[in-house]
Amino acid sequence: MSEATLRDERGGIFTPFNLVTGVILLGGAIILTIRFTTGLASTTNLSNTNPWGLWIGFDVMAGVALAAGGFVISSAVFLFGMKEYSPVVRPALLTGFLGYALVVLGLLADLGRPWRLPFPFIKQAGPTSPLFEVSLCVALYLTVLLIETTPAVFEWLGLKWWRRLVGQLTIVLTIFGLILSTMHQSTLGAMYMVTPTKLHPLWYSPHIPVQFFISAVAAGISMIIIEGLFSHRAFHHQVQISNEQFRGINFGLAKGGAVVLATYIAVKVVALSLENEWRLLGTSWGMWYLVEIMGFVVVPCILFAVAYRERRLGLARVAAALTVIGVVLNRFNVTFIAFNWKVPHEMRYAPAWTEIWVTVSLITLAVVVFRWAANRMPIMYEHPEFPAMH
Amino acid sequence: MTISRRGFVGGLVAGAGALSTSSAEAGTIEHFEGYPGRYGLLHDTTLCVGCRSCEVACAEVNAQPKPSQSIGDQSVFTTVRRTTDTAFTVVNRYQEADDDKPPVYRKLQCMHCNEPCCAAVCLVHAFTKTPEGPILYDPEVCIGCRYCIMACPYYALAYDYDNPIDPQVLRCTMCYPRIKEGLNPGCADACPVGAITYGRREDLIEVARERIRKFPDRYINHVFGEHEFGGTSWLMLSGIPFSELDLNEGVTHESLPAIGTSYLSVVPLIVTIYPGLLAAFYAFTRRKDKLAKQELDTALGEAREQAQEEMKAGLQKAAEKAKKEREKAVETAVGKALAEQQKEGSS
Amino acid sequence: MFYTLVDFLTHTEGVTYILIGVFLLVFLSFWRYLTEREKNEKPG
Repeated sequence: MSEATLRDERGGIFTPFNLVTGVILLGGAIILTIRFTTGLASTTNLSNTNPWGLWIGFDVMAGVALAAGGFVISSAVFLFGMKEYSPVVRPALLTGFLGYALVVLGLLADLGRPWRLPFPFIKQAGPTSPLFEVSLCVALYLTVLLIETTPAVFEWLGLKWWRRLVGQLTIVLTIFGLILSTMHQSTLGAMYMVTPTKLHPLWYSPHIPVQFFISAVAAGISMIIIEGLFSHRAFHHQVQISNEQFRGINFGLAKGGAVVLATYIAVKVVALSLENEWRLLGTSWGMWYLVEIMGFVVVPCILFAVAYRERRLGLARVAAALTVIGVVLNRFNVTFIAFNWKVPHEMRYAPAWTEIWVTVSLITLAVVVFRWAANRMPIMYEHPEFPAMH
Repeated sequence: MTISRRGFVGGLVAGAGALSTSSAEAGTIEHFEGYPGRYGLLHDTTLCVGCRSCEVACAEVNAQPKPSQSIGDQSVFTTVRRTTDTAFTVVNRYQEADDDKPPVYRKLQCMHCNEPCCAAVCLVHAFTKTPEGPILYDPEVCIGCRYCIMACPYYALAYDYDNPIDPQVLRCTMCYPRIKEGLNPGCADACPVGAITYGRREDLIEVARERIRKFPDRYINHVFGEHEFGGTSWLMLSGIPFSELDLNEGVTHESLPAIGTSYLSVVPLIVTIYPGLLAAFYAFTRRKDKLAKQELDTALGEAREQAQEEMKAGLQKAAEKAKKEREKAVETAVGKALAEQQKEGSS
Repeated sequence: MFYTLVDFLTHTEGVTYILIGVFLLVFLSFWRYLTEREKNEKPG
């Protein structure tokens, strides 16, 4: 068990993992201190023409999509009865909760007045705003995820009554979570419907909410596969399921990934066709669009399908990685690459190294917390005194 | 309330009244005309000489620092500028002077749209369209999300990125305090050549159309801002195509709030339909599990019965076999005993 | 009366948000009322 604890065999706290993450987190803290004492200009490349950059593009837009595994798996297991995926429910929910916490932290860094975050609910609401809907749903969903991760905490603390209470809430929370996720995943895309002249027509579509939702499902499935790759090794001593079972789960996810990506491709083609945008594919922006679609949607779709059919786990993992990159790339395109595409070159945006460092810090924080929780709580295994729910 | 599709890429030419002026906004079946008698400004770019007096006046009225490049400094026109957190209006040159053509300038500022996009996307409702026409911003509720800046199609809004305490969104206010006092906006008063005219919007549209009628060779036959994205308070006349003035030509008459919020009508549908639908899925799953369990129980029961039958049959067979063997053994023993008796009797 | 679409939508969407929030709570009670007696059924 020694490699999984904070201290190594000699009881030293300076493990390589701790050193690296410590430096990253310390750097992030320093940058954020500067940001909060001198304003956004000092630590970002944001401008009046580009008010949203990496912290919105990755922390918020991509972050929410990558945290989608929670609602996908919990719905599959608890609503659609796919009990064979039970072993990955808790890791997926924990990943989801930490992902959404990362979104809120990123938002707090980016807002001009982050202490006013609750204002839409306590001071004055702007119900016409898609962002109002997103913030309401994210706040509620973060609460849902928090409660959904407490069973593991209560089992760890031996609080049987609390554990039973939250266990009874599972179905209601899962349904509520699916409602909230459908809404805010779609609405994050809908935020761009108001910018038809600023977002390149290949990415702009009245269907962008549907496209965002479907790609989020694909991202969620892929993140479960990727998270499983690392967790299965790092927490091998805890894992109770057989290798065959683990592989079975991954192949099932790969099959799901293939179908979802195929659906996504069809939806994207429909959007092109309805606006008659075929000729745009021949432009340089069209080439870039094809890089995103071919390389990071079509290819992983094929790889997922082959991986499932031929039972090749490594291939499924490659497909998952490509899918995640593809969703991140899509969110970057919509947020600041294909957005403002007509703006002169000298006024375009590229993230500052400080923005990148802060984003990496937040990801690191999520990984550190996940590891801390999985080392202590029944995430990767079932507690002997508490049989599986439903 | 369906999501409407509009071709906008170099699509329709929204001029010459080719399209109907009343459009049903996608967000609702009703049509809204806006506050009657509201004010606007007419900017005739054919009259603008690029003196930038409006910039100076604007800075004065809004207590901002004067533009760093003085009036008459032509070097300012080598780049295309935009509004900033201290400069609520700028004048750009979009065409250089030619042998027969004069240089073309245009003044940029918040367009005070009829249906403001900034107001529609603000999650704390910080923007309000006043009955007089100007759009007001309330820094007391603003959380600094900058969605308004991201959404504005005219790139009119700016932010105070150097301020960690109370940053604000900064933009032209159409001199609302002055208008309330019955004065003209600062830029309109300052313009020496009459390139900016202030008045009631509906009147200014007539003035603009009249100018086009009188001087058809001087103007493009279109009043920009009358209908674009639902119409703006600032109206423009130009002698060159509006796209060359960095204005989006050919955009829909549908307002951006209508486009941007049309999707939101789906949200309540998700909340109202999903619960019943998902509860049904859950019930189906439970029912399927229950039936599967029942089938399993029945199959187990039958298997158990069958096993019992087979066991009983097997036991019976074994019992009969044992009985037969016993009988046979008894027969053999009796026979043997009788034979022995016979032997003993004869001797 | 509403003069602009934005004012109209601010009102209607605000009201609708509240209505759907109420609906969720009501539906929960409704569902409980519907399925309460199922717990008394003999285990299948």
